[in-house]
Amino acid sequence: MLKIGLFKFSSCSGCQLSFLRLNEKLLDLVDKLDIAYWVMVSDNDVEDSYDVAFVEGSISTPEDIYSIKDVRARSKVLIAFGACASFGGLNSIRNYMVQKDVEKIVYGSSGALSVKSIISYPIDFYVDVDIYLGGCPPSLSDILEVIKASILGFKPRLPDYPVCVECKLSENECLLVNGEPCMGPIIRAGCGALCPSLGRTCEGCYGPQADPNPNSLADKFREIGLSEDEILCRLRKYAGMHRDFRGIAKL
Amino acid sequence: MSVVGSMNTFIADLHDLDRLVEVARSRYSVYAPVRRGRGYVFSKIEGMSDTDLRYNRTILPPTKIFHRPKEVLLRFQLADGPEFGEVVEVEPMMIFGVHACDLNAILRLDRFFTRRFEDPYYLARRRGSVVVALNCNGPRDEYCFCASLGTGPTVYGGYDILLTEVRDRMFLVEAGSEIGANLIDEARFRRASMSDMEAKKAVASTAKREFRRYADFRSLSYPVIEVLAHTVWDEEADKCFSCGNCSLVCPTCYCYEIYDTLDMDLNSGFRVRRLDSCQLYGYAEVALGGNFRKSRKARLRHWMVCKFGGAAGGELSSCVGCGRCIFYCPARIDITSVASRLREAV
Repeated sequence: MLKIGLFKFSSCSGCQLSFLRLNEKLLDLVDKLDIAYWVMVSDNDVEDSYDVAFVEGSISTPEDIYSIKDVRARSKVLIAFGACASFGGLNSIRNYMVQKDVEKIVYGSSGALSVKSIISYPIDFYVDVDIYLGGCPPSLSDILEVIKASILGFKPRLPDYPVCVECKLSENECLLVNGEPCMGPIIRAGCGALCPSLGRTCEGCYGPQADPNPNSLADKFREIGLSEDEILCRLRKYAGMHRDFRGIAKL
Repeated sequence: MSVVGSMNTFIADLHDLDRLVEVARSRYSVYAPVRRGRGYVFSKIEGMSDTDLRYNRTILPPTKIFHRPKEVLLRFQLADGPEFGEVVEVEPMMIFGVHACDLNAILRLDRFFTRRFEDPYYLARRRGSVVVALNCNGPRDEYCFCASLGTGPTVYGGYDILLTEVRDRMFLVEAGSEIGANLIDEARFRRASMSDMEAKKAVASTAKREFRRYADFRSLSYPVIEVLAHTVWDEEADKCFSCGNCSLVCPTCYCYEIYDTLDMDLNSGFRVRRLDSCQLYGYAEVALGGNFRKSRKARLRHWMVCKFGGAAGGELSSCVGCGRCIFYCPARIDITSVASRLREAV
């Protein structure tokens, strides 16, 4: 039995919901998987150790720092589960503003004064991460792959190539060539080119591909008429905190 | 394939071709270029109204029908002694409206997949197939450059049926094999006149003179320092995304990778073959994270030199001038302009 725990930090719980969306596939695994901690579905207490911890969310309060270190200490394998845990995610767009101003916008001048927010960092700013599952949320196939690999002790087979590969294999038209600001060339695959297959540009929720060239993409965006602000917004949206994008996203 | 004489030259309008498709559909799945957004894809058609013979190029080349972008090779089961079962998906197919560049690419893949080892998956699909080729009356757009490579715009062999648009929507129809001749026979086309046949010759001679894009890859395929150390690689690599588009849409890029996927019972599973790209970082990655081509520059150079005829595949993977890699490159990297820069140096 593989003992797993699902933990949540600053996030929308969408990644956990995706885990739940495995539906009957979870039933196939009942005799191989012991879901020992999952605050969304049960009130089990935290146990001493886990084989695999799925960690959703970014670290954005002082308490989070303590908690993520605690989860790390209890877990043999730690998975950054989704865009927030992996790269800071949507939460990190507030990092480009003054924290005090952000708190005021969100909680008002009087309310929730006890909330202390810090710069929203991906969990690997504080602890070692073994596996990154990007995506907002991660695809069910990627989740299943890490579960199967963890049970069998394999290295999971997760794409590190860009979304363009999945687009080409599906024979989609190239949105970027058509002049639309698609982030596909610099973003990791795994979603099955979900958005471009529906005619929508890639927004970048899977984070950087193995060897991205964001500078060239910024040039391309300028060429098709995006303003510097629009380019920054796209680069910051999910993975502006990632080392591959930080320079150009100007933290 | 037997060569059929000019006695077997016919003339057909779109209505006649519709009959050919109808005849063919009783035996084959017919694939032809079908509109997708601003592009085209080879898809199953039911009649000529589904296709557009004035298409410029499809997103993926028709080679995808034989060398699939993704396919299951075998199913396996591990417990109780491993068991394997090959999965070969075959249906009799007609590929309708193949340009000279793409036909030449198919002929190269034929040789590649039958060299030392026969690829049973490719051959199972290819052997039962019928190719209806389509001559080009000139470049389909500004990205075409087959004329300078001798891979078009006119088809000289390797087809079952060959179409040439000799007048507006009127096609000269020639058989290149017995299967082709029989299909034409069943479709009951009118015999071509002498002037129709003369018109084809005129089309062929004017077609190749209308190309503006030009490529000369001679002497670029050797590992000489003038090619390998040229600054053009640094300049192009600055723009390159390593997205793989160029090689994934290339009709002569056959590189693939193979991996296993387990079912939820963790016992049975299947083996997948998927089109790979040397432009991807993981392509040349080996155990413990070693990588033979870590830099974008090394990968881009490797691909282009392969297209020049210089890498492991040699001439079997070399360029046919279809223009896809130029059109689908989001960074606008252009193999013809890189080649002309290099040619100045050698």
